[in-house]
Amino acid sequence: MAIVLRMPEVLANATEAILSKWLVNEGSSFTAGQPIAEVETEKALVEVTSEVDGILGRYLANDGASISVGAPIAVLLDKGETESDIEKVLASEKISKMSQVAPVGGVESDVEEMSATSEPDRVFASPLARVFAKENGIDPRSLRGSGPGGRIVRGDVRALISSGSAAFPTTRVVLTVASDSVPSNGGSYTGIPHTPMRRAIARRLTESTSTVPHFYLSSPCLADAFLSMRKQMNEWSEKKVSITDLILKSVAAAFSDVPSANVIWTPEELRQFDDVDISMAVATGSGLVTPVIRAVNQMSLSQLSSATEDLITRARSGRLRQDEIEGGTFSVTNLGMYETDEFFAILNPPQSAILAVGAAKQKPVVINGAVVIASVINFTLSVDHRAIDGALAAQWLATFVKRCENPTWLAV
Amino acid sequence: MAVCTPLAAIEPWVELRTTAEDWKAADPELLATMLGQLHIIRAFEESVLQLAGEGLVHGPAHSSIGQEGGAVGSIVGLATGDAINGSHRGHHQFLAKAINHVTNGKLNLENLVTGEIQIVLQRTLAEILGLAQGYCNGRGGSMHLQWFEAGALGTNAIVGGGVPLAAGNAWSQKRAGSENITISYFGDGAVNIGSVLETMNLAAAWKLPLCFFIENNLYAVSTHVNEVTAEPRLSGRGQGFGIASWRVDGMDPLAVHLAMKEAKARMRAGDGPTVIEVEVYRYFHQNGPFAGSAFGYRSKAEEAQWRERDPLLRLAKEMIALGLIDQAGVDTLRSQAVEANKLAVSQLTEPNPYADGKRRIRPELWPDLDFVNVGVRGDASELTSARTLEFSTYSGATKSSKFIDAIAAVLDRRMETDQRIVILGEDIHRLNGGTNGATKGLAKKYPGRILGTPISENAFVGLGGGMALDGRYRPVVEFMYPDFMWVAADQVFNQIGKARHMFGGKNAVPLVLRTKIAMGSGYGSQHLMDPAGIFAANPGWRIVAASTPADYIGLMNAALALDDPVLVLEHVDLYADMGEIPETDLDYHVPFGKASIRRTGKEVSVLTYLSMVKHSLSAIEKSDLDGEVIDLRWLDRASFDWESVEASIRKTNNVLIVEQGARGTSYGGWLADEIQRRCFDWLDQPVQRVTGGEASPSISKVLERAAIAGVEEIISGLEMIRQGFGGRK
Repeated sequence: MAIVLRMPEVLANATEAILSKWLVNEGSSFTAGQPIAEVETEKALVEVTSEVDGILGRYLANDGASISVGAPIAVLLDKGETESDIEKVLASEKISKMSQVAPVGGVESDVEEMSATSEPDRVFASPLARVFAKENGIDPRSLRGSGPGGRIVRGDVRALISSGSAAFPTTRVVLTVASDSVPSNGGSYTGIPHTPMRRAIARRLTESTSTVPHFYLSSPCLADAFLSMRKQMNEWSEKKVSITDLILKSVAAAFSDVPSANVIWTPEELRQFDDVDISMAVATGSGLVTPVIRAVNQMSLSQLSSATEDLITRARSGRLRQDEIEGGTFSVTNLGMYETDEFFAILNPPQSAILAVGAAKQKPVVINGAVVIASVINFTLSVDHRAIDGALAAQWLATFVKRCENPTWLAV
Repeated sequence: MAVCTPLAAIEPWVELRTTAEDWKAADPELLATMLGQLHIIRAFEESVLQLAGEGLVHGPAHSSIGQEGGAVGSIVGLATGDAINGSHRGHHQFLAKAINHVTNGKLNLENLVTGEIQIVLQRTLAEILGLAQGYCNGRGGSMHLQWFEAGALGTNAIVGGGVPLAAGNAWSQKRAGSENITISYFGDGAVNIGSVLETMNLAAAWKLPLCFFIENNLYAVSTHVNEVTAEPRLSGRGQGFGIASWRVDGMDPLAVHLAMKEAKARMRAGDGPTVIEVEVYRYFHQNGPFAGSAFGYRSKAEEAQWRERDPLLRLAKEMIALGLIDQAGVDTLRSQAVEANKLAVSQLTEPNPYADGKRRIRPELWPDLDFVNVGVRGDASELTSARTLEFSTYSGATKSSKFIDAIAAVLDRRMETDQRIVILGEDIHRLNGGTNGATKGLAKKYPGRILGTPISENAFVGLGGGMALDGRYRPVVEFMYPDFMWVAADQVFNQIGKARHMFGGKNAVPLVLRTKIAMGSGYGSQHLMDPAGIFAANPGWRIVAASTPADYIGLMNAALALDDPVLVLEHVDLYADMGEIPETDLDYHVPFGKASIRRTGKEVSVLTYLSMVKHSLSAIEKSDLDGEVIDLRWLDRASFDWESVEASIRKTNNVLIVEQGARGTSYGGWLADEIQRRCFDWLDQPVQRVTGGEASPSISKVLERAAIAGVEEIISGLEMIRQGFGGRK
């Protein structure tokens, strides 16, 4: 039976995505599991697959179009079905035309969403904005309102039109976080258009620093045992174990020691997780992505090592699946390779903690009353105070550092 | 021990009764005319009650049966140039005056109802029934009967409400040097109301030829006169004001006539107003075809006693005794009157095809429904040939002038060129130009035309209304503070504002009311309102407000040329402001119905007026919003510049209405309402408003400031606008 393929909700709270490329031609058949289309979100490229064999009957959206979540993008047919089946399903679903719209140009306003609506169909727009949108063939539901209570106003429609872009996902209630008019400071400059990823980073981190009460704890870690452990392991193993792998494993172990720290804050409740899913910050050419390694607590070191290597590789080529960047109960970010001593990371909501890893450097330290040379890594934990109090965080950090300084357990 | 010396009244107060000699001496033609009128009126009123009983009179039918003697006796000697007005019970006076007018005051008893009288009966009845052929096109009905050409100024449904208007008419008669007089009829119920007592005082002070004619029928609806006053001889009121007064048997038309003759002589001699109280009796209840006794407030015996004194019977009896007529002649009179009224009724009604044996109004005689709003104001065509000047584009020579001096200058100029203009108000003739200098130098220059009034706004603005309706003079009335409109509210809104429309839409009412808004002056809760909102909400008025001296000149000239009542708003904050005005030109008009854009802008249309124009401009300078400031200038619905305002809103899509005064009585309410309907699809946010608080401004300086809107509140309003369109600071 003919079915309408719709734009999947690829990211929580995201209401649009770009259909970057069709991978199956109109009229061609495909098999179950074969990628049909590539969809670009703010964070990654996602491949859309079908669970059954079929024929791509008709495109309802073009390459490069920005499409609201839930909007039809294609009609899929069973073998033997024809054009009339397409018309039938379009008629029954009341679909009359292509899902808009113009090619993407990176034009959304810097907004943060504050609440979802309980009445998804009710659009609040000023009378003028409604008329203006209508005259320009824009569905007000595709706009974000910047007026009081999220009301769509003239400026929202005008911004969309002047940007040459279209249909932006709707949701209610927004606050801009950056000025509309930034002074140029007189100097010459080159304008670099924002990519969706850059915008996502800006939005999420602004939201984090402006809504999450952060606090920070630092601890140096005597890392010689830890480093020599890695060295020994790599002598025996085909897979090279990275410092990051060892840290991830230690993080998971520390949460096993202090499970009450494995929590996130939500307005309704504190959620304590059974597994430790760790987001790993990966710098890419176009920005930061944070693939998630699931259940690190259940993994062997070699499994972990394979998983991180794969994710890092795919992150840098923009090939992460959407589900691979969602979730995560904790983040680790490492700037050690850049010789950074220590730094203070911004939380990745809704997570409650992030560990910043500095470079391992040789320093004079006092051990048993004597000054000796030792390798030291500075760890800084950023914590959401709503979820985790200082003593608990300190307890976790102490446990973690102790695990790192005494790494023989890793061999167990 | 204190020495007490009895004091004598300034003017006489007498009771007048006829004697046999008076009857013998009376002109037989006069008696015949009175008898004929009595019969015509009686039969007319019986027809009205008959129709009322059939449900064909919409609203009350206040019958004058039993009271005809007072009206006929007092009106019979009047010339057409003499004028009357009256109250809700006024058919008899109106008919007496109209019949006098069409017959030159003489009836032929052989051919009682001439063609002209027949027309009077039919048109009067048509008016009472609300039909298009009535004197006021059916607008006035029973309680608003007006026929200006006949000297019938209009009856009035507000008890005592017509009396100040009558004083204005009398003022005009006197000022014009005519011998004419005005009679204002009202009942015992009206004797205790402010309009009447204020006007007695004012008319006596100014020695106006005005007769206060009290038809004392003993009952204000069901309340007996003895219940509501310690001096039920109501003509006694005149004593307190220095007015010569008569108490007369109103059931004796000759007695009334003789009293009026004496009164008229005094009034024509310039001795001032008179009071005539006639003792009469309405045979029926307040309205409708049932006797008062049916409602239990008086006895049938009392009614029977009064009926024995019936004026028709009395006059017929005296005339028969004098051999001037016989009973058969009287009966013929009666039948002629009855037939004529039957004919009038038959012209207006027909058998009801849907109800056997019943009548109905002939459907084709109702007014056209499109007529409902016609004549709320005039069409302003009187301004079409006016020379206009828009000062913002004026390139001639200018000079600097204080705002207040521009007021005095333009008033001076108009008084110089237009002898009809008269200014009245409290203290305007003293203090070197009134309390603020607006009439500076005028009292000396124009004797008799700058009238310092007693503190009785209801009487003197009503008097102005009477002048305006008369039309020979064009009054400029000053209310020292706007809040005084409340004490004069009946005259301002119920009379002056409604007069043109209520009487059929044709009466010009050229009255200018000046008042100054005084917020910020510390006069407290009862002096500091902005009346624009209240005037805008009431029909009939035009409203202008100038924010510059040059505009004041042009708006005042337009106001004085308009045939409608115009409120000219001023503000004490502006009086001392200096501004440029044309060096020698005081004769131009500000274009009718045109607002002025004081600052162009793209982001918000700020609609404002008077002193808030400069405050709005200043607020915009302090904010960084690109506001377009529109000085509305013409504020009433009929004169409002929708063209400019709508164009601005289509451009900016955001509206801020700015005014200074309290929210409750504010001006912007109607405007916001109208804008959201006219411009809904052009609005990017709700129409926003800046006003004062709910409370009236207090005496305390800080509380006064907190209660009103100023630059800071406008800045907040602009910020509200910014947030409304999604803009960020």
